[in-house]
Amino acid sequence: MSVGLEAGMDATGWHLSDEQIRRYAALGLAPPALWSADAHLAACAPCRDRLSAVAPAGLVGDGWARLDAELDAPVPGPVERLLVRAGVPDHTARLLAATPTLRRSWLAAVTSTLALTALLAHLAHPAVFLVVAPLLPVAGVTLSFGPRFDPTYEISLVAPMHTLRLVLLRCTAVLSTTTVLSGLASLAVPDLGLAVLGWFLPSLALTVTSLALTPRFGPVAAGVLVAAGWLALVGATLGAGRGGSAVFVPAGQLALALAAAVAAAVLARHRWAFETPRRIR
Amino acid sequence: MTIAATAPAVRASGLSLRYGRTPALSDVDLTLTAGVTALLGPNGAGKTTLLRIVATALVPDSGELTVLGADPRTAGGRLAVRRRLGYLPQDPGFHPRFTAFEFVDYVAILKELSDRRARHGEVRRVLAAVGLEGQRRRRIRALSGGMRQRVALAAALVGDPELLILDEPTVGLDPEQRLRFREMIAEFGEGRTVLLSTHQTEEVMALCQHVIVLDRGFARFAGPPAALATLAGGRVWTSGSREPHALASWRTGTGLYRHVGDPPPGADLLDPTVEDGYLMLVDVAASEVRA
Repeated sequence: MSVGLEAGMDATGWHLSDEQIRRYAALGLAPPALWSADAHLAACAPCRDRLSAVAPAGLVGDGWARLDAELDAPVPGPVERLLVRAGVPDHTARLLAATPTLRRSWLAAVTSTLALTALLAHLAHPAVFLVVAPLLPVAGVTLSFGPRFDPTYEISLVAPMHTLRLVLLRCTAVLSTTTVLSGLASLAVPDLGLAVLGWFLPSLALTVTSLALTPRFGPVAAGVLVAAGWLALVGATLGAGRGGSAVFVPAGQLALALAAAVAAAVLARHRWAFETPRRIR
Repeated sequence: MTIAATAPAVRASGLSLRYGRTPALSDVDLTLTAGVTALLGPNGAGKTTLLRIVATALVPDSGELTVLGADPRTAGGRLAVRRRLGYLPQDPGFHPRFTAFEFVDYVAILKELSDRRARHGEVRRVLAAVGLEGQRRRRIRALSGGMRQRVALAAALVGDPELLILDEPTVGLDPEQRLRFREMIAEFGEGRTVLLSTHQTEEVMALCQHVIVLDRGFARFAGPPAALATLAGGRVWTSGSREPHALASWRTGTGLYRHVGDPPPGADLLDPTVEDGYLMLVDVAASEVRA
């Protein structure tokens, strides 16, 4: 039985429960439970008979038409299936599956960079990890949209879905994956105590700031500007705290949280600039 | 520069746009009604810029524009237009891992079709409309150029748009594919509005009820294709040798030469084509610029 269904069992194998049959007949099942029910019904005559008994004839006919269509539709890729099983609606999962920086090659690059950075943190200074980790989501977001990296950018731009919504969806996905990977990599960094998580707020602040600057400078230039600003800031505040810079002490982290809030406000204020951009190149 | 209009889908006047210091469109007027309208012009004429403005991807620097009764300069107007618009860009990109079905499904989601059953039904409908029902499971990277173009057209047709904008839809297609594409576009243009850009004058004759000639950002002509051809009336002739003073002079399949320009007295005049009219128009415009 697939994930999402709690089938009853009998001596000959498993069957859909009465509740699942009822919800299926009422068109109340959503993917992935729906896919599993469709697949099971295609192979199980007793469950089909039970479905026929609880659903009007027309509804059963609709169900078979839908089953026909479901079997005809291509099976989603692994990223989409994973997202749907994690509770993401299927249409959102398809939008996310098209994110360039959610591909295996990008995730492999991020993982390699984090591993290398953790190694450098051992060999040189732990601050190396705290400085590099926040730049990864910025790079990921920069490479997630815009005509240079998103092949369907032009079509997305004139679609009714708000461009910023699509951008934010992708940013959230990129931030989430890099945060998980960076969190895991933090375990390999030499002892810094809680300061080892000092990359998180900079990640958030830099990513939102690069988004806020995008309508004015374009995604690539905005990402480069933010990255350069970050390195300059860390360089200018070296020598304070266990993380090696004042931005990793509590006061610095608070300032970065405020910067993220300001950037988010700017982004919200200029959200329409994503709709008809002149500078997003 | 106005096409006779009844309930126009697009009305524009004085549209201008610059990229930095370079003018891309200058004071263009436009009225589009049901049927297929071609934007004809050389490279850099401003065709794509005008299409992108009508498609709400660009905002003009100045001028008035109404698309499907809405003002695309406002957020609400843009959304209203985008819900009733189909757009095929000049170089439609595809996510390489998607199948034809997945790509069109992706575009359907962007077009706010979130209900899975209804969306998949629509995807199957548009893929069938472009003759790709048997190819929907194939990855796009495995499809030929013509099939990819049909996938992109299918994506543009999602939601049965009232206005279809196609940027050089037949470029790179072989003759048979071009014919099939023309069939599909002509069928769609019955009762709805199609605006397409092209370099091909034979496409204008074969497909379009209206043609607009753009050159260096200016609209030089708007009207039926036959009217464009008449611009070269009395300026096309044939002879047995090359004519060095003609605008264009070439040897045809019959072995005789065809010339466009100012004919000598007693020349053997021919009926002009759309291509002849276009050539005259663009050359006159170039002469004005040179002067």
